Amino acid sequence: MTDQSIPQKKTRSVTPVTAVLLILPLILLGGVIAIFLNNNGGLRLSSPAPVEALTFERSVLKPGSIELIVRNASPQDVTLAQAIVNDAVWPMSITPDATIPRLSRATVHLEYPWVHGEAYGITLFTTSAIPFATEIPVAFTTPYPDQQTFLSFTLIGVYVGIIPVYLGILWFPALRQLGRRWMVFLLALTAGLLVFLGLDTLAEALEQASLVPGPLQGIGLVGIGAVATFFLLDAISRRQTSIGKSESAQRLSLAYMIATGIGLHNFGEGLAIGAAYSVGEISLGAFLVVGFIIQNITEGLAIIAPVLRDRPTIRQLALLGLVGGAPAILGAWIGGFAPSPTLAVLFLAIGTGAILEVVYEIAKLIQKDTARQPMPMTVFSGILAGMLMLWVTGLLIK
Amino acid sequence: MKTTLSRRQFIKAGALTLLGTAGAATLGGLTQKAHAGATHQEGHGGHDAMPSTVGEVDHARNGFNPSDILTDFDYGEVSTLESGQTLREYRIVAVNKNIEVAPGIEYPAWTYNGRIPGPTIRCTEGDRIRVHFTNGSSHPHTIHFHGFHSAEMDGVPGAGPGLIQPGDSFTYEFDAEPFGLHLYHCHAFPLARHIAKGLYGAFIIDPQGGRPAVDHEFVMVMNGFDVDFDDANDFYAANTIPFHYQMHPIQIKVGEKVRIYLVNILEYDLINSFHLHANFFQYYPTGTSLAPNEFTDTIMQTQAQRGILEFSYKFPGLYMFHAHNTEFAELGWSGNILVSE
Repeated sequence: MTDQSIPQKKTRSVTPVTAVLLILPLILLGGVIAIFLNNNGGLRLSSPAPVEALTFERSVLKPGSIELIVRNASPQDVTLAQAIVNDAVWPMSITPDATIPRLSRATVHLEYPWVHGEAYGITLFTTSAIPFATEIPVAFTTPYPDQQTFLSFTLIGVYVGIIPVYLGILWFPALRQLGRRWMVFLLALTAGLLVFLGLDTLAEALEQASLVPGPLQGIGLVGIGAVATFFLLDAISRRQTSIGKSESAQRLSLAYMIATGIGLHNFGEGLAIGAAYSVGEISLGAFLVVGFIIQNITEGLAIIAPVLRDRPTIRQLALLGLVGGAPAILGAWIGGFAPSPTLAVLFLAIGTGAILEVVYEIAKLIQKDTARQPMPMTVFSGILAGMLMLWVTGLLIK
Repeated sequence: MKTTLSRRQFIKAGALTLLGTAGAATLGGLTQKAHAGATHQEGHGGHDAMPSTVGEVDHARNGFNPSDILTDFDYGEVSTLESGQTLREYRIVAVNKNIEVAPGIEYPAWTYNGRIPGPTIRCTEGDRIRVHFTNGSSHPHTIHFHGFHSAEMDGVPGAGPGLIQPGDSFTYEFDAEPFGLHLYHCHAFPLARHIAKGLYGAFIIDPQGGRPAVDHEFVMVMNGFDVDFDDANDFYAANTIPFHYQMHPIQIKVGEKVRIYLVNILEYDLINSFHLHANFFQYYPTGTSLAPNEFTDTIMQTQAQRGILEFSYKFPGLYMFHAHNTEFAELGWSGNILVSE
């Protein structure tokens, strides 16, 4: 995939004829478009009722008011006419305007005396008499960025990301003592863990994609993010090989890549938790925290697996842990204060691509390590154990 | 009411969404803190919050104004038959028409004479009534009057002329009886849709010599609109436009006698009601007796039930009247009477 691997072709100058041949289809395309814009190309394209779509992106509750952030996902402008809150027509004001251009956002403001802990159904009617409904299942003041909530989200990130990852890294001195076969087993275990995490991240990305407004094509974003990340990391890793980095340096950068992939995964988790927290969608319990720490401790293990035979400095280990764990904090902030399904999809897709690419790198490493002495059952049991580990610990938190 | 809040499902879904994100668990204590600042009833916005539509319906484009419909009685073209009987002739045309039933929301209505409710037909007991009906719409319709008449004049499919096809005409003819407050509506099937789309109106037959004189007579036809066609009303009103009399109060003076002809034609909901604030009224169910049968401040009507209310106000001020199905009230069927000295 690197530039060097592509054979250089002899460059030919573009002749006028080639230029015309290049442009001709575009000119014809312009003609076809013009025909359709003029008379629909003979087709009857008008529908009896306009196709309208409105996506509710977020609701913000403040004392005495409800704000809904909506996006127009229909092929044309949409104008909001009336709002109904729990079967009462309620006065609303809309910024910037009641008419929302395609793909634009607007904020619907309702001065409504909502009550803590109760549920609200809100319907917005457009001028085409099409209703769009959303609900606030449990009403409470939406967290806003003050010191207290900032600290809360930071703590979430610390529990979800930092602590488990560092706990896993603490195994480093002990695991260094293991023999070759166990090292391979650990690498395979890491691959298994990552396959599981990759699937989980992908599933989360696809779930979030369904919340993205139609024209932004959430599934397409997942594909772009995942595939682009996969091949970008692949290119980077090949370049490192080609510029002659030492094997241990390559293993260290693999550890960083794993940390990055896991970091993106944790960023996604932070986003989801932050968003869930800000809409009150959280059932809490110490049991779940414990489960989470147990599950994520494996992430630290995965990060150090490639560098067990090397001598990374404490600094490097600390940095690896930070790269793997800290994004959870960032994710929690963003998810809590400014959740955006589109952004979440992109990050989760990037995480998917990164994690799966890292699995590929580990596979290459295992292949190298077992070239002289194949140990297929070790690899098999390692991968299976890795996946089972996350599945079993997952039982605690689902 | 048609919104069902999925609180329970939500909590389930919430648990699922937490797939792999269960670190949320950590938040027990934090949530408590975050909530500590929230009062039980979240504060007011500085003014009295109350339901209302935003904006104003374009009455000119609709072709009618609920404030005018209150007192708009159609006595018909009056002449005298050879027998000495009074003849009243009315012309009613059914037309498809888009009506702005709430500010910004147009409804593809079916109307009598381009308005909802249709003209308030008023006559005296014993008058000869001729209603020249033309179907100017694109669907078959009829006019079915409540009152005495022959089977041919009943305005239902399969009797007399049956359905009046688009472009066709028919004259419904009968003697006006019994006196009281009645109504008329289309009886084509599917009936619920033909009524809900707007084909109805009030039909008043005064007793010989009339009712005792009052200072104001108002007609209110309680109705609603299912603008998204899910067989449940989205907006409710008296005389079509939600909150119209809330925004444009009916004006009377202290001590003036008021008579309201109240008809319920609301489709899709079992009952409707009328409640008057800070006052009581004499109620004459169906208006078929000159003696009231109840002194109350709230009455209930099912579809096609109707009655006459009489009252006056002792004190000046702004008083609400509304359906005491509070859901209907908050979805538009609420108004004010402004009483001045």
